[in-house]
Amino acid sequence: MSGEALYVYALLADPGDGAEPPGEGLDGAPLRLVRAADCGLAALVHEAPARPYQGPDDDVRRWIRTHDEAVEGMRRAAGGVLPMTFNVLVAPGEDGDAEARLRAWLRANRDDLHDRLGRLRGRAEYRVEITLDSAAVPTDDGSVQEIEERMRDASPGLRRLLSKQLDAQRRAAADVLADQLHADARRQLSTIAEDLADRRRATRNPGETEVLSLALLVHDDDVENLGFILSELQESHPAAQVRFLGPWPPYSFTGEQLATPATTSP
Amino acid sequence: MPTKSPMSAASRMPAPLRPTRDPQVTLDDLLEVVLNKGAVLHLDLIIAVADIPLIGVNLRAAIAGMETMLEYGLLQQWDADTRAWAERATAATPELEEDERVVLRSFGGHYGESGLSAVWRPGTLFLTDRRILVYRREPREVLWEARLEDVEATRLQSERTVGGEDRLRVRVELTGGDGALLSAANPEEFDESLRRLAPHVRSREPRPPAADDEGPEFEGHMWYHEPRRGGALWRGGRARLENGRLTWKSPTDARPAVTLDTGRIRDVRLEPGTTPTNGLDRLVVDAAGEHLVLATAEGPRWARLLDPSARTAAGKELHGHHR
Repeated sequence: MSGEALYVYALLADPGDGAEPPGEGLDGAPLRLVRAADCGLAALVHEAPARPYQGPDDDVRRWIRTHDEAVEGMRRAAGGVLPMTFNVLVAPGEDGDAEARLRAWLRANRDDLHDRLGRLRGRAEYRVEITLDSAAVPTDDGSVQEIEERMRDASPGLRRLLSKQLDAQRRAAADVLADQLHADARRQLSTIAEDLADRRRATRNPGETEVLSLALLVHDDDVENLGFILSELQESHPAAQVRFLGPWPPYSFTGEQLATPATTSP
Repeated sequence: MPTKSPMSAASRMPAPLRPTRDPQVTLDDLLEVVLNKGAVLHLDLIIAVADIPLIGVNLRAAIAGMETMLEYGLLQQWDADTRAWAERATAATPELEEDERVVLRSFGGHYGESGLSAVWRPGTLFLTDRRILVYRREPREVLWEARLEDVEATRLQSERTVGGEDRLRVRVELTGGDGALLSAANPEEFDESLRRLAPHVRSREPRPPAADDEGPEFEGHMWYHEPRRGGALWRGGRARLENGRLTWKSPTDARPAVTLDTGRIRDVRLEPGTTPTNGLDRLVVDAAGEHLVLATAEGPRWARLLDPSARTAAGKELHGHHR
């Protein structure tokens, strides 16, 4: 076993004997729980060489998906987890093998970890993104139609200029609507979410005005209410496009950085 | 989970949206959140390997959030390893010509206006004795460059960032009519150094910020007691009163969390109660369907400006420019 490290997916309240993690780890690695029985905590891990996963982007994509599946499977089975980011490895050291060190660390941080897990129990992360199709946003002042009419008989040069004006008008109208929609949606979502964080969108499309991109921490019992709020927003704003992603383990809500324990003397 | 909730036929309520975990739809977002978020164990017993070059540089760089965060200096939201990478990525030296000498180098960026979307692309701004270039190390790319002899003029212009701050930018105009908008750690120093190297470069008058002539009627720091399921929390930001509308925006949010037409306000009052720090006034605004709890050091002034009875009585009082 020497030289073996542990890849850590998540920390959780020890689900008790017999509860085995569902699914499998990166590249088919068998998942298991490292239990620190005396403090009621456990870590979802697989045994790995003491070096990080690295490789082409497609491999990283595949690993991230598997990482997420493993953590989410555990979350559903155990009712709550503190998810780790990608590539968190516990290495063996002079003071013990990886498993002993991980246990000791869980013990040392038991109160903080129980506290965090308590806040996350029965909850998952959801992503809500709202965009507006700029061209579909109604413009009420008639100036858009006027520009469109002028464009019909315009020279190519003038038409280019007018089309820029037209885009600017549409963007401005979309922006005004986006501000209103953002405040409105955010207020409604805040009543459902226990925590929320502004997230930048991973992808952008031309012709879209971004309204809102939020990570929400939502209790399992409130997911349907969230769905109702979103479908109503969608119905009342035909130009809006609503994306509703999840459930994910609460990656965005793990709290402040975990404590670094005092250096243990050898 | 049921695929459809039972709904009475008489109900007008649309069916609730269902979240999706379909990787086809979510993978980009999932990558972003797993790589940037999730807990990290920082201790020497346990190695947390989040160093980006190890996990697919191109992938990280493709994640849009990063550029914005670099541009707006929100790096403290990142873990130390990501920050270290970002600093490295903005630091190396591009390939130089023979005898070409770097005169100035600083954090900087290029505003990419061509293509489908306009974004700030961060890197390092180099001024050499021959060229201006914005260079990014990882992934390696010259984001923009121009030879000094092609530079006709520069203009320092102030722009408001998404964070609501005013930042000075350098607009570079080329003889061919093209140009670029650049950011620099110290725009004035860059501009002066450029003119020393290339005395032919003219300096255009700074353009006033676009919104200057129709600025807000009133603007100031304001705390907003934003609702949450588990209880509201105080968030700092800026409140603006402009064109008959009150807005409040946190620097970390993309858009204002409050936009309220002042015509909808029914009641405004200062009341006792908790505020995030001592010495603030607690300001409560009631409007149709909204109840805002705010805290500000200028409570009486805001209360006067927002008060519905005062507004109608004073008539045009609001349309003056109180700066």
